Amino acid sequence: MTTQDAMNTFVKDTGGWVASQLEACTRCGICADACHFYTATGNPEYAPVWKVELLRRAYEQKFTFSGKLKLALGIDKKITDADLNHWSDLNYQACTVCNKCSMACPMGIDLGSLLAGVRSGLAAGGFVPEDLAKAVKLQLEEGSPLGMTDEVWEDRLEWVEDDWEVDIPVDVEGADTLVIFSSIEVMKFPTNIAAIAEILNAAGENWTVSSTAREVVNFGFYEGSEEHTKQFLKILLDGAKELGVKRIVVTECGHAYDALRWHAAHMLPEANDFEIIHITGVLGELVGAGRLNLKPGFYDDLDAGTITFHDACKIQRKGGHIQEPREILNLLAPESFKEMTPNREQAICCGGGGGVIAIKDADPLRFKSFELKIDQVNRVGAKTVAMACSNCRLQFVDGVGHFDLDWKITGLAQMVADALIEEE
Amino acid sequence: MLNNSAFIRGPLLQAALLIFVAGMLYRLVRVIMLGWSKDNIPTMGSKATGITQSYLKGLLIFPFIPWVKNTFSKNPVIYLAGGLFHLSLFVVIFLGAAHMLVWKSLLGFGWATLPFPIVDWMATAGIVAMIALLIHRLTNPVLKLISGLPEWLNWLFVFLPMLTGYLMAHHLWLPYENLFTLHILSISILLIWIPLSRISHFIFYFFSRTIHGQEFGKRGVRP
Repeated sequence: MTTQDAMNTFVKDTGGWVASQLEACTRCGICADACHFYTATGNPEYAPVWKVELLRRAYEQKFTFSGKLKLALGIDKKITDADLNHWSDLNYQACTVCNKCSMACPMGIDLGSLLAGVRSGLAAGGFVPEDLAKAVKLQLEEGSPLGMTDEVWEDRLEWVEDDWEVDIPVDVEGADTLVIFSSIEVMKFPTNIAAIAEILNAAGENWTVSSTAREVVNFGFYEGSEEHTKQFLKILLDGAKELGVKRIVVTECGHAYDALRWHAAHMLPEANDFEIIHITGVLGELVGAGRLNLKPGFYDDLDAGTITFHDACKIQRKGGHIQEPREILNLLAPESFKEMTPNREQAICCGGGGGVIAIKDADPLRFKSFELKIDQVNRVGAKTVAMACSNCRLQFVDGVGHFDLDWKITGLAQMVADALIEEE
Repeated sequence: MLNNSAFIRGPLLQAALLIFVAGMLYRLVRVIMLGWSKDNIPTMGSKATGITQSYLKGLLIFPFIPWVKNTFSKNPVIYLAGGLFHLSLFVVIFLGAAHMLVWKSLLGFGWATLPFPIVDWMATAGIVAMIALLIHRLTNPVLKLISGLPEWLNWLFVFLPMLTGYLMAHHLWLPYENLFTLHILSISILLIWIPLSRISHFIFYFFSRTIHGQEFGKRGVRP
């Protein structure tokens, strides 16, 4: 694993799609103000344009006349190990790949995918931060980065079934829908498992979980390694194929949805054999079609203060499920639901995505950027913050603890399940 | 000076034009030839809608109705000055009478132009905007970090034709003939510089805007 491997990956991944966007950058610096890490700290190195600098230099040195000229004249230097180490810190610790920067770019450059491209090179060269690399290793060995081994999975599932009195169908061949949870939910937010099971049962869905395709989290996608990403995705698609399901539902996990919905078929064409959808989309469908017996205004009646919704980068901005949470919350909390600004596709990132939350060294930075979120929530005066991503939720829960806030943090599925009217 | 000016207005300008056209074609073809992978992922929304919205946003919101962007409030100078500079460039180069005549001699047909005072006002605004952008680049920490020799040369080589053109139109500083030669010289330098630099973004803009529209459109998200 060397700098050369990183460079080779940069070159291999550079097609017209990447090159034309690198060429379009005018170095105006506007992207900086879109970045929560730059805004929170004022460190100019956190400007997205600077995080992509490594990829640009590699591209120019390899492909362009001006790049070669600059190298020959000594205006630019060859990329070194020290450069890669430095950009590893910038890209893994101070970037959640939330793609807000592409909304601000006057040229419309899809910076998120270029930043993912930088990670690919760093991963190929072995410049992944230790904590992240450890999590990948765990997922390779145990099937889960959070220690959700076979036994743990079975225990937790049994416990959820008993404690919340819900049925969770396992390995049902010929079911329509395979639901794949994230280990964040299984280990930290088990109420999500119960909530989603309750909802699907109430709607009469023919669904199942799989004992092999059971971990939707993909740490290969975080680190940017195509090899690992593909390996983890394949387990899921194989499991789905075995059970003969028609669609795969990704639960409240952002990056896993991004990987499976928008990237899997590029690496594994069989992904297109399934309809891949996020649980937010399913909730929207079920509520819209009136298949859930919900109590309208349930949260207004609780009188627990203002509720707001945090848009996750991978589920809303990059995932397209912007409308459904609004429809649901306007039904369940027409009075108490208030929007933050900016929101929807313009939302500010939680600060913990993209693997940042898994890196201990990045803790001060992610809490610093969470201050932007605190400000946003306080401006709307919310006491409850709902979201559809467990990674965001983990960051919010951490943030609430760290800053000693009195907010309630919850998931969208959880809110829907709580508002279900029990049938006698 | 007379010999030199004949050279500058003749062969140098022609050579510069040739380098500009050939250089840009080379860069365009080279990027296209790097290959494009097919996107076979089922979409949630329409790519065409996304692309349309992307261009509308690119051309209208940036920078003419910038208040809808929350990044604007943090950085109004670069939005306003950047927008004004591009508008000024367009007005002076295409709607100024003197430049239209140059286009007419090249293309064989002309078009209606704006009255001199309006063009002159736009030219002044463009020059003021360029100076504002320079000050911004000299003081903003991000821009200081990302600016190297090429970025400073970009500014200089764009500014010189604007300055010489302005002086010429107002009969200031040097005799008209000499200023005209300097104007052509500065344009020649700019034309040779463009294919080597990021001023070429006027072509790649259409790639990134289209990609932006596709990426958001296919997810059913407003770009």
